[in-house]
Amino acid sequence: MKRTVIVVVATAAGLAGVLAFHTSPSSVSLAPVKGTDGSSSGPASPARGTASGPARTAVGPQVNFSYGVLSVSVTVRGRSLVRVGIARLSDDGTVRSQSIDQQSIPVLEHEALQAQSADIQGVSGASYTSVGFRTSLQDALHALGLH
Amino acid sequence: MGTVVTIDIYTGDGSAGPEIGAALTTARVVLQQADAVFSTWRPGSAVSRLRRGEMTLRQAPAKMAEVVRACALAREASAGWFDPWAMPGGLDPTGLVKGWAAQRALTALRVPGVVGAIVNAAGDIAAFGALGPGAPFRIGIADPFAPRRLAAVVHLEAGIATSGSYERGAHLIDPRSGRPAARVASASVTGPDLGMADALATAIAVAGAAPGLALIGPIDGYEALVIAPDGSREWTVGFPFAPMAAAKQVASACR
Repeated sequence: MKRTVIVVVATAAGLAGVLAFHTSPSSVSLAPVKGTDGSSSGPASPARGTASGPARTAVGPQVNFSYGVLSVSVTVRGRSLVRVGIARLSDDGTVRSQSIDQQSIPVLEHEALQAQSADIQGVSGASYTSVGFRTSLQDALHALGLH
Repeated sequence: MGTVVTIDIYTGDGSAGPEIGAALTTARVVLQQADAVFSTWRPGSAVSRLRRGEMTLRQAPAKMAEVVRACALAREASAGWFDPWAMPGGLDPTGLVKGWAAQRALTALRVPGVVGAIVNAAGDIAAFGALGPGAPFRIGIADPFAPRRLAAVVHLEAGIATSGSYERGAHLIDPRSGRPAARVASASVTGPDLGMADALATAIAVAGAAPGLALIGPIDGYEALVIAPDGSREWTVGFPFAPMAAAKQVASACR
């Protein structure tokens, strides 16, 4: 886990940039993100830059986390991260783990879905502290050359 | 800390100039440095060395003293329900530091051209500004009982932190018994400083709804919403509820 200190990813909602990095400052990548559509209905527009190339998706390896096994999917366009989601999630079927799944796992999906809605700019209420989540995310980013 | 942080920046004209890129980089460095100093699961971090007695507070980076002061303030404000000194293994500021770091990262984003910004540290959110005049940010609170749905929506002016029984980690230890405790399904606190909001949400989750809300009431600028294990809800009078209606699209899209 030394490899990854913290991961900063863009949400899909009106964003200005993506930061995804490892411990070494030299591996920081910063790229503007293109919005999911060309128009903005809000009084202020989400910041937009240019992004090029087709969307590419990678799925991180299945990793164990405290309550089961998960893998993370990442979609990028150019060097811009456009979506982070859970590709696969299995657990041991206990009430506790179901609670974790239901409340923690959907949050990034929520954030991805914010792209389709001008109504919500964030969701409060769950913690992504899973080392497994970060491991899978980082490997997926690495597979796409974004790291 | 080890978490996922997302940053959204809203500009008046939708452009992202180099100064915004530089601000993002600064915010990233703030988060990275906070993680390096305060991560309790990194054996080499300052907080880990402090916990093992290998370093004194005076020897630690200056931000350690700043966080320790914030922890002391939060312990006092929460009547001891938030107590980083009562954690197993010694001082553990985890319950406050994620919000504290997000709040510091947000400060870096106050640059010309930015009308609003949101730093979301895995559900603990620091924000300033708005979408535009008369259009405050709308933030959903995850429904602790219904996956992928929102329990409420708030108009966010500054910070919101949510703690709940689903959380893991030492910060949901009851300082009075030394044992894990979570007496609410979800506790959300809004207020000007996300570190304090984070600590107060943790305090309510441990203390329970009635004592928790009694704590928040007198604290200027902070409001709380508690969802009890039986699904019932209580909140302080000033809690910044926003209409849910506009959020229905998100809820149904998530389902």
